[in-house]
Amino acid sequence: MSAEGAAPRHPGAEGQLTAGAALTLEGLTAGYDSRPVVNEVSITVAPGEIVSVVGPNGSGKSTLLKAVIGIVQVLGGRVRLDDQEITGWLPEDVARAGVGYVPQVDDVFPPLTVRENLEMGGYLLPTREVQSRLDEVVTVFPRLATMLGRRAGKISGGERKMLAMARAMMLHPRLFVLDEPTANLAPAVASEVLEEHVRGLARRGATALIVEQRARAVLAISDRTYVLAGGRLRMEGSPEELRSSPQFVASFLGGSAGVADIVSESEPGSPP
Amino acid sequence: MSLLLASLGFGLVTAAVLALATVGFTLQFAVTDVLNLAFGAVMIVAAYVAYWVNQAGISVWLGLVAAAIVGSLLSLVLNRFIYAPFQRRRTSSIALVIVALGLTLILEFGLQAFVGGTSVSYQLAQGPTVGSGGFQLTVVQLVIIALALAAMVAVHALLTFTRLGKAMRATAANRSLARTCGIRSDRVVTVTWLLSGALCGVAGTVFAVDAGSFNATSADLFLVLILAAAFLGGPGKAYGAMLGALVIGLATEVSAAYISPAYKDVVAFVLLFAMLAWRPTGLLGDRA
Ligand SMILES: Nc1ncnc2c1ncn2[C@@H]1O[C@H](COP(=O)(O)OP(=O)(O)O)[C@@H](O)[C@H]1O
Ligand SMILES: [Mg+2]
Repeated sequence: MSAEGAAPRHPGAEGQLTAGAALTLEGLTAGYDSRPVVNEVSITVAPGEIVSVVGPNGSGKSTLLKAVIGIVQVLGGRVRLDDQEITGWLPEDVARAGVGYVPQVDDVFPPLTVRENLEMGGYLLPTREVQSRLDEVVTVFPRLATMLGRRAGKISGGERKMLAMARAMMLHPRLFVLDEPTANLAPAVASEVLEEHVRGLARRGATALIVEQRARAVLAISDRTYVLAGGRLRMEGSPEELRSSPQFVASFLGGSAGVADIVSESEPGSPP
Repeated sequence: MSLLLASLGFGLVTAAVLALATVGFTLQFAVTDVLNLAFGAVMIVAAYVAYWVNQAGISVWLGLVAAAIVGSLLSLVLNRFIYAPFQRRRTSSIALVIVALGLTLILEFGLQAFVGGTSVSYQLAQGPTVGSGGFQLTVVQLVIIALALAAMVAVHALLTFTRLGKAMRATAANRSLARTCGIRSDRVVTVTWLLSGALCGVAGTVFAVDAGSFNATSADLFLVLILAAAFLGGPGKAYGAMLGALVIGLATEVSAAYISPAYKDVVAFVLLFAMLAWRPTGLLGDRA
């Protein structure tokens, strides 16, 4: 069993509890070159919750996350982390506020070694704390321990995704923003990432907002799931509610109808 | 044999000058995304600063320190007032290259209007010659090589062991990811212009020392060698730049001795073309 079991093996080490932050998106509109790609999205994530966003390719999921962490222009609406408004903050300041981000692509620094990637994750830590935090994080991803000296560009896709998550963990973020952490991973590795690692983050107290393609798998670990299509929220619900929605089942859990149904049958901008 | 040794000696000196310049140039490109073709012009401005210090009766090696400072500040100014504003407007990188070429002309002809068209030289004793057989170097040449070696060791230590150097490499590899780690990339970029500008100033001065005499446009051809060395090693790769400078420096001087000095810059590019055909991303570049 991996290190992040329910009872921390070393209290204060990798099992250390984080006080998760609440994230609130209020009517968030964001896009590129002043052209909106996501429109008036409102999402709430309570401390310690795992909330997921699913939706077809190109529906604006990555854009939404990038707007939250400050690398895409916010055109309207607000982002709040606990009681602090972080709308339009620079990504380096959002990181300081306690948000860890794992992008969908380009999620590591390929020319840097695995160790150096983790050090960059801990860039804001006092220098003397970097090594001990690195040791803690590596106990969560034991496979990384054997490859600290290798260049991140040379490790496998699964190892790379774990490195990206480990890097984001270095600062003890209160909120994790994860963009398709299982994309391009073999099914076994994908379920390890979701079942063990994403769940592990929440078990240690952190909040997570996660975008996923694997609807069935992500539903299993989510407290609540939102459906984004064409840049707007179309549905929202607990896993049970969505599993019993014929529309959701048809679109995401393998039915005959397609995503188009959700898009066409919903009133734009008003989640059913 | 002694011809080969002699040309290897010249080659090492050329390689040393080229390494100082190319490492600065390639760091700039890697971290700031600017292919700063005005690098040669800044080198010459800095070389003149050392010249003015030298004219005041002060050692050119102290002039070199002044040149490093001016190279540093001038590079920062170019970025702050020219490159960064264009980058903020999302000017394409090819348009930025044209901007850099324009800057080269402005700097060089501005300088020429000020200093005139005649060449100048530093006042400095070459010192005794050391070496054996055909392999002979003057003390000044040895100082240039030592300076280059020291700078390469310092750059290596910076990039490998320091928080700043690692943040520079992270910013070069993926700027937005670096920012999400909390790295203030604008500060990293500023520091990179200062450091690479200092290398540019040092390179300009030792280039002028090595050349013997220089004028406002003397570095034009040298810029071409910098480009050859940088792309030979793999653009943006600091160690590639060192290796590229060594290869180009030795190859140009050895071919000058055996073929004709007229062809030495051509040889640099024959090497570059052959290497690009064999390995498009450069000797130490990532495999495409
Ligand atoms: N850097 C960008 N500049 C302009 N448009 C972009 C950019 N990135 C994504 N887009 C556009 O935004 C839309 C949503 O993309 P994205 O957020 O990546 O969707 P998803 O993550 O749901 O697949 C797409 O139409 C895409 O073409
Ligand atoms: Mg995406």
